[in-house]
Amino acid sequence: MSEPTETANQIDAKGIIIGLVGIYIAGIAAPAGMPYLAFLAGIGALFATKMGADAVRRVCSYGIGTGVPSIGMLALGMGIIAAMFGLAFGKMVHAPFIGPIVGLALALAIGFVVGSLANKIIKLNIPVMERCLTEIAGAGVLVLTGFSVMIAGSMDFVVISEKVITTGYIAPVFILGALGILHPFNASLGPDETQDRTLIHAYSCGAIAMTIGGFCSIAAIGAVAGLITTVVGLAIWYVTFMGFVKLVKRDAGAGYVGTGLLPPGAM
Amino acid sequence: MEPAMGMGIVALMGAAATVAGCSEDLESDIGSQSNPNSQVQLAAQVGYPHRIFNKAISGEPPSNAMYCAVGAGVAMVLMSESVMSASPLIAIAIGAFVAALLNGVFSTTSYMGRNASQTRFNQYVYLDVLRNQILSLMGHAYITTFCIVLLSYVMWNQDLIGHPFPFPVIALIWGLCVGAIGSSTGDVHYGAEREFQDFKFGAGLNAADSGNITRYAEAGIRSSMDNAWFCSKFGGPVTGIAFGMTVFLDNWRSTAFGGWVSVAVGTAIVILLIIYNRKIETYARNKYGPFPEYAGDIEA
Repeated sequence: MSEPTETANQIDAKGIIIGLVGIYIAGIAAPAGMPYLAFLAGIGALFATKMGADAVRRVCSYGIGTGVPSIGMLALGMGIIAAMFGLAFGKMVHAPFIGPIVGLALALAIGFVVGSLANKIIKLNIPVMERCLTEIAGAGVLVLTGFSVMIAGSMDFVVISEKVITTGYIAPVFILGALGILHPFNASLGPDETQDRTLIHAYSCGAIAMTIGGFCSIAAIGAVAGLITTVVGLAIWYVTFMGFVKLVKRDAGAGYVGTGLLPPGAM
Repeated sequence: MEPAMGMGIVALMGAAATVAGCSEDLESDIGSQSNPNSQVQLAAQVGYPHRIFNKAISGEPPSNAMYCAVGAGVAMVLMSESVMSASPLIAIAIGAFVAALLNGVFSTTSYMGRNASQTRFNQYVYLDVLRNQILSLMGHAYITTFCIVLLSYVMWNQDLIGHPFPFPVIALIWGLCVGAIGSSTGDVHYGAEREFQDFKFGAGLNAADSGNITRYAEAGIRSSMDNAWFCSKFGGPVTGIAFGMTVFLDNWRSTAFGGWVSVAVGTAIVILLIIYNRKIETYARNKYGPFPEYAGDIEA
């Protein structure tokens, strides 16, 4: 694993701040007559995806090979419970705007407890376990809240449960969100993995989730707002995917070939 | 619904599931996903760089759940009255196509990413390997997704079976299920059947032998297409039968019976299958042994 180009603190700060700001702008603007801004919640979720992917990268470089997919599913498992609790809590106390923050706080707490259990009780003894699982849970809740707000165009629990959960659009969001967190590191697993390549891949996976979520929001909030999200998602995907291919070329060096036999000495 | 119509629908779902299971297993064999992937991933590290597709999207269950949930989500949008009220068949076909595109993207990034991360072991990124396999991967993923989204639609539709869960959630669950069955039933035949036939029965596999799976086929260096060819003879169809039976028996018991009787029939099916599997296992051990009891003093 190479030296990181961005520290964990920087990535976490960006993930949480941009994640929450995006969710709040979209959640306030969309019901107030500007559904076209719903895509901003998706942008917030992209940064949260990157935060989760970096946490997966750090914790899984301790040799958790086949556990990478499991940890991504764990993230969204913790995330969906906390996200729905937060939004429902906001509804219960008649203050929907505290929903995402309550959800985030609960997810961070669940993540810390799960990390402590893994380290102290199951004795995995990975030094970054508590911190990384806390980050992963936080990323999970921001991804789910972000994409749910983006599809429904509202932070109200009743609207989200009617437009995202009852219709079932939560299923693609859940699984694409999980793959966005687990796939970047899983697809780059190996001793020559580099942080910038993994993280640009995280943006690319998040953009796929945003594109599909945007398509679903055509049915939920309207054609124009949905298409804006879809097109923005596709544009981000194209740019980040090409960036990923460029970094693959850089990292593979002379091994990036059109065709050819096995390298000398391989037989 | 008339009983004959109900049984017809159940049979149709079983048939769709059989096709889906078969194509799912072949897709994962071409891409060396899941179980064989560990051996392909290890190969370069034990000194065997290779030209096999290394498709690590995750385990098979989450990746197939993703294709099916996305396919169903897209189909649901197209079918909704506020968008275009598309006919279910067209909507499901388009949904499966979108899922196949996602399969292509995720497969590409995992092949490129994993091989670029093994540069120090002399593992190259071969673009012709990528180009040759990617369309067959996407084609198989299309068939799998289409069949599963179709059977999920039949389960969800209020005029047919009328399951209370939302359509994409049913597709997600069946996607997880087909991935799990493909991983547990089909992948065994990729490696164990073909590569290690000269090993003593029950001998286990030394980690250093893992790379052998990427070496020779009938003619020259083995490619991912050789794996699909071999697995389509037995591994793929047997996965299809396993998944088709799961879907068929599960829906048959709830269509033919009702209430607690269907629960009792389900329990009886599970118990019968456990006894049958145990019989096969002991038969194979006795027939193809030696399989000595572990005495606690054998060196690993």
